[in-house]
Amino acid sequence: MDQQMMTSLKQAISSVLETMFFLPVQIVEGNNLREDWSQQDSGIWHVRVQFSGPVNGSFFLLVPAGLAREITANFLGLDEADVGSGQESDTVKEALNMIGGYALSQVEKADEYQISIPEIARAGQKDLVSMQLEPHNTISIETDENILAVGLHLD
Amino acid sequence: MAFNVLIVDDSSTMRSVIKKIIKVSGFDVGTFLEAGDGVEALEVLQQDWVDLVLSDINMPNMNGLELIGKMGEDDMLKSIPVVMVTTEGSGEKIEKSKALGAAGYIKKPFLPEDIKMTLCNIMGEEIKDGPTDDDEPETGDF
Repeated sequence: MDQQMMTSLKQAISSVLETMFFLPVQIVEGNNLREDWSQQDSGIWHVRVQFSGPVNGSFFLLVPAGLAREITANFLGLDEADVGSGQESDTVKEALNMIGGYALSQVEKADEYQISIPEIARAGQKDLVSMQLEPHNTISIETDENILAVGLHLD
Repeated sequence: MAFNVLIVDDSSTMRSVIKKIIKVSGFDVGTFLEAGDGVEALEVLQQDWVDLVLSDINMPNMNGLELIGKMGEDDMLKSIPVVMVTTEGSGEKIEKSKALGAAGYIKKPFLPEDIKMTLCNIMGEEIKDGPTDDDEPETGDF
């Protein structure tokens, strides 16, 4: 199930980020996210959405604040300078909501899954250390100049 | 003909995006109205003339399915078409919304042409500039 869910997640990431956020997406293997994000002084948005059904778990999204601003500007058709913090958090929550919903629609017994309302927090370097950001559950996505990550935790 | 459209979503950002995409699609809108959940939507529906409702399913206080149910109990509101705009993978929820009286659904992520095709079909409008590719959009009227 883990593998099937990760495959669905990859399809969902490409479809949602390219269609709704106009973001060129390249999925990369073997990134060291903690190192890549070590200079992210403005923090990293950490969004989580739980799901229940034949398998229970949660999806998470980690986006550096600067990239979140760019994504939000693309999503809303605004200049980056006009993007507010509330719009940034709303947008990254919506991004994971769409990615999670799309991924669950591709797995077996899709009709039986329920998805929760996304929760958001700011993550610092210390928080990243405690997260299980491993290749088997975390997908790193390279955009033009940045990296974001989407992952899966099964209960 | 221009239609008054009520957009119901707990994310103000998503409401803005849906408005933007409908504008880009060329679907003829008179006024956009907004609500953050089903409870607010019922208040708007009691106060303003609404031709069409686009509603998220997953919302706090009163979700989209409960909203359709409440509209179905009201003689004044039950004839207003409701289109579900949803990330739900669950076909069960789409079927449930249909059983409650939803006129159609639009699955996120979506393109402007998906929205236009669904809304024009539901409102009986001619589609002047349809999609150019052969892909079936993840949307539909019931």
